[in-house]
Amino acid sequence: MEEMPTKIEHLLHELTVLPLSGGHGAEAAGFSLTNYTFWLIVAVVLLLTFFIVASRKVKLVPSGIGNLAEAGVDFVRNGVCVDVMGPEGKKYFPFLGTIFFFVLFNNLLGNIPPALPGTGTVGTTFTWAIIVFLVYNGIGIKKIGFFGYIKSLIPSGTPWWLSWLIFLIELISHFLRPFTLGIRLFANMYAGHIMLGVFTIFAAIFIEQFSAISIAVVPLSFLMQVILRVFELMVAVLQAYIFTILTAVYIDGALHAGSH
Amino acid sequence: MENLGNALAFGLGAIGPAFGLAIVGSKTIESMARQPEMAGRLQTTMFIALGMIEAIALLGFVLAFVL
Repeated sequence: MEEMPTKIEHLLHELTVLPLSGGHGAEAAGFSLTNYTFWLIVAVVLLLTFFIVASRKVKLVPSGIGNLAEAGVDFVRNGVCVDVMGPEGKKYFPFLGTIFFFVLFNNLLGNIPPALPGTGTVGTTFTWAIIVFLVYNGIGIKKIGFFGYIKSLIPSGTPWWLSWLIFLIELISHFLRPFTLGIRLFANMYAGHIMLGVFTIFAAIFIEQFSAISIAVVPLSFLMQVILRVFELMVAVLQAYIFTILTAVYIDGALHAGSH
Repeated sequence: MENLGNALAFGLGAIGPAFGLAIVGSKTIESMARQPEMAGRLQTTMFIALGMIEAIALLGFVLAFVL
């Protein structure tokens, strides 16, 4: 039993980012294919095939896989875009739909045992967060001009001696947005995966070294596996939804930047 | 000792957001019960609030890894 911590650490190490092409450490992980990027590519291929198959035979009354795709598209279009931004939000559906389905497919694929969630790395989530940051600021700047957008950070009617403080706070909150967006998705997927991994490792170790404690620990670990797996499926859908809806809220804020 | 510090960084950091999530959840249920026709809009707003509060808790999680 003394070697258990090292064994757990060794097994958990397999859940970290590891380059597939040999080598170890940061120098090898630079631009090489890692286990997480491999599953990210798998998820993207699945996403593409899903939508190609779904859109091959477009009918007035969809059935089967087309029905599923249409329900998902309708959810993003009416449940997110129109709900948050009003009728003009339909214009931004392609962007938000891409984010939603990319994140959703990556999150869900992470729940199939050998696979890892592609969104469980800082690289993927922060790339999306920075894209979102650039896009919503770009929309705001395009609408009312660069200086108008900067000026809109201070709400009208603020006394002049307070405006610089408000401006500073708003600026910080804007730069925190991509950070929290990236951290939220990464931490949720990574933490969920580690949690599942820990219970699996517990079960495996206690079966391997069978003793009296195993009779209590093993069924509990299996039960937690089932409960957490259901929870993770819910989290996967919820995180994709939250990422998309926050993007919609940010774009909505940029669209109405000058008017409040 | 270092591991204990990491665990505390996450554990103590999760207390505040936990209360925040509890307030958001209970108030949303209350509002839904009062005005069921607003349930859809309330749910959307709730998820936005949840996402923002959750980020605070997860900062502790990331700090526990980084430290």
